[in-house]
Amino acid sequence: MKYQAGSYESSDCIITVSNSDETIIEIESIVFDQFGDEILNVITKTLQLHNVSNVHVLCKDKGALDYTIKARLETALKRGGYYE
Amino acid sequence: MSRSYLFVPGNTPSMIQNLDVFDSDAIIIDLEDSVVLNDKDAARILVSNYLQKLRPDKLEIYIRINDAESRYFLEDVTLLDKTDINGYVLPKASVEAIASLQKITNKDIIPIIESPLAVLHVEAIAKMSQIKGLLLGAEDLTKELGINRTTEGKEILYTRSKIVLACAAFGVDSIDTPYTAKDDHEGLLIDVLHAKTLGFTSKSSIHPNHIELINQAFAPSASEIFEARRIIKKAESSKKGAFSLDGKMIDLPVIERAKKVLDKAKKYNLL
Repeated sequence: MKYQAGSYESSDCIITVSNSDETIIEIESIVFDQFGDEILNVITKTLQLHNVSNVHVLCKDKGALDYTIKARLETALKRGGYYE
Repeated sequence: MSRSYLFVPGNTPSMIQNLDVFDSDAIIIDLEDSVVLNDKDAARILVSNYLQKLRPDKLEIYIRINDAESRYFLEDVTLLDKTDINGYVLPKASVEAIASLQKITNKDIIPIIESPLAVLHVEAIAKMSQIKGLLLGAEDLTKELGINRTTEGKEILYTRSKIVLACAAFGVDSIDTPYTAKDDHEGLLIDVLHAKTLGFTSKSSIHPNHIELINQAFAPSASEIFEARRIIKKAESSKKGAFSLDGKMIDLPVIERAKKVLDKAKKYNLL
């Protein structure tokens, strides 16, 4: 089952999460060369914050700021029941 | 007291991250009508993260939560009450709905007067604790009355006047309804000046390009400031309670009004 949050609008991103045998993070971003590491860091820290592991995270980014990526990931995780 | 209140959709990152460039004195981040039902959670979480990370220092920020009868009301307040906001804008306001909100927050409340019953109860609402001001929601009100909105606004004259009187009586802000024609600046100017003439302290907007005109209209004009300065100067030098200036009688209410003009001018850096 996949759970999603966000949009393809400018300054937003779409985050899709699903169960996985290990934690996998995929990032597609229009600013990957400049901010790929930062996006990965935000996703990693957000998963750690909520003690979520064994999840596949796909982030399709349209230039979202860090708090937007965090918010969209939290929404997708909550929709999937990964944390309360 | 803010001159302008700008509604911004709560689930739109491109708008939220630019709140401080719109020049509105206050922002109302909307979780109600501009957010579709299946994104209520996403908007709430986005706004919470934004406020924790990037909240602009000097901006007044209110959240229009979902109404007290909705399933989202409690979740909205539970999450956002932890953030540094000035308060809540409460849609579909009633005495009972405001009491429900007061039970779960100590922050300021701006009820939206948008039902016939709320119009009848504006005095009771204006004098409740935590009330920062009353906001007229003319679109929903006229929908409930089964009448059309006009650019002249004759159909809301009674409601506007009643709100202004109640707010002035209990010392809270009176915030006029938005002007919904985005590109009609001539109509906006007439509408704003009409609201100011009736006694509104502020006006709300759903378009950033209305803010400059609203701010100008609700700030003291150069001639008002000039006149107020003359009155205060003469009052300070006069030893009488009342005196004459340019053939006009100046007494305490006029002096008090001049002080208010200068206070407002100072607040908006016009002195």
